[in-house]
Amino acid sequence: MSILTAKAWSPYAAGVVIGLLQVPAFILIDTALGTSSAYVTVSGALGQSFLPSLAENDYIAKHVAYTAKNMWQLALVIGIALGAFLSVRLAGTGRKAISPIWEKALGTSSPAARFALAFAGGFIMLLGARLADGCTSGHGLSGVAQLAVSSTIAVAAMFGGGILTANLFLRRI
Amino acid sequence: MSVELAILTGVLMGIVFGFALEKGRVFEPGVIVGQMQLSNFIMLKVFLTAIATGSLALAALTGFEIVTLHPKATFYAADVIGGGLLGVGIALAGACPGTVLAQAGAGYRDALFTLAGGLAGAFVYSIARPAIEPVLLAEGPGKITFADVSGVAFPVLAVGLAAVVAVVLFALEQREAWARELSRSGVPAAA
Repeated sequence: MSILTAKAWSPYAAGVVIGLLQVPAFILIDTALGTSSAYVTVSGALGQSFLPSLAENDYIAKHVAYTAKNMWQLALVIGIALGAFLSVRLAGTGRKAISPIWEKALGTSSPAARFALAFAGGFIMLLGARLADGCTSGHGLSGVAQLAVSSTIAVAAMFGGGILTANLFLRRI
Repeated sequence: MSVELAILTGVLMGIVFGFALEKGRVFEPGVIVGQMQLSNFIMLKVFLTAIATGSLALAALTGFEIVTLHPKATFYAADVIGGGLLGVGIALAGACPGTVLAQAGAGYRDALFTLAGGLAGAFVYSIARPAIEPVLLAEGPGKITFADVSGVAFPVLAVGLAAVVAVVLFALEQREAWARELSRSGVPAAA
């Protein structure tokens, strides 16, 4: 079977491919893999179009600037959606609108409950990622691979917060 | 590099990234929540393999002085609080800031709400940033790595990290084979 139409790869094959993406990131863009800055770029640009006074916010200005690094990361996250879409189409492994695990985890099949929790989860996730200055990619994949002290602390805290939440607030899936 | 070429590079790298996230199943809500409930270790297997691979690649690239590292600055309180919140959000969303895009691409409808929440969270942080900066991001040891702290050359430590990761991965695979973990996690499995 072709690797492109296979239903799944071993986690080790997937991990090697993802890890090797650091090579073009460092050589071509002079940066490490990361995704959470793009959320500031998009939300900041949207915000600025409604509130011109946000032009004075240095943090937003830095992220919406039309630079190679900012636009590369925005393109990267759009590419992630495209890549997953292609993979699903090639393998013919379509998904339901909501993963069946949520009915078990939440004890309800209500889409509204899931959508509300997804929004809240996304909100907390990016609030945290921006405060820590990195996400599972930027701190996790890239920072730990560089043996950064900040990333090692952030990743330990991330798994701590995730394990506590998944065990205290979600039912066993 | 021109911005246009950077965008093209980003899209191509993103397609590879998204393809691997989907094929590895690490983007599945069931795999991410299962990892946090410690009932499924697919996420850790992908994550640690990618770290070890990246570490070895960077050991070579910095060893031959082709690239320099870009570690993030350390701010102890911000790293702990921010990392903790990130983890809470990941468990509730069943996604990470990157994998949520793969979920959207694969057809999960709730991923769009996670994305919207993420944009709102990043926006609120941006607005609050001037107030947060003097409190949590004022004093720290800077962009330090364990190579700086220990005085051991980065390539040496990086190879050491990859070796430790290999041992952990071997133990995780002995605990339960990946194909078995996938087949009981209710997601499309191999073959």
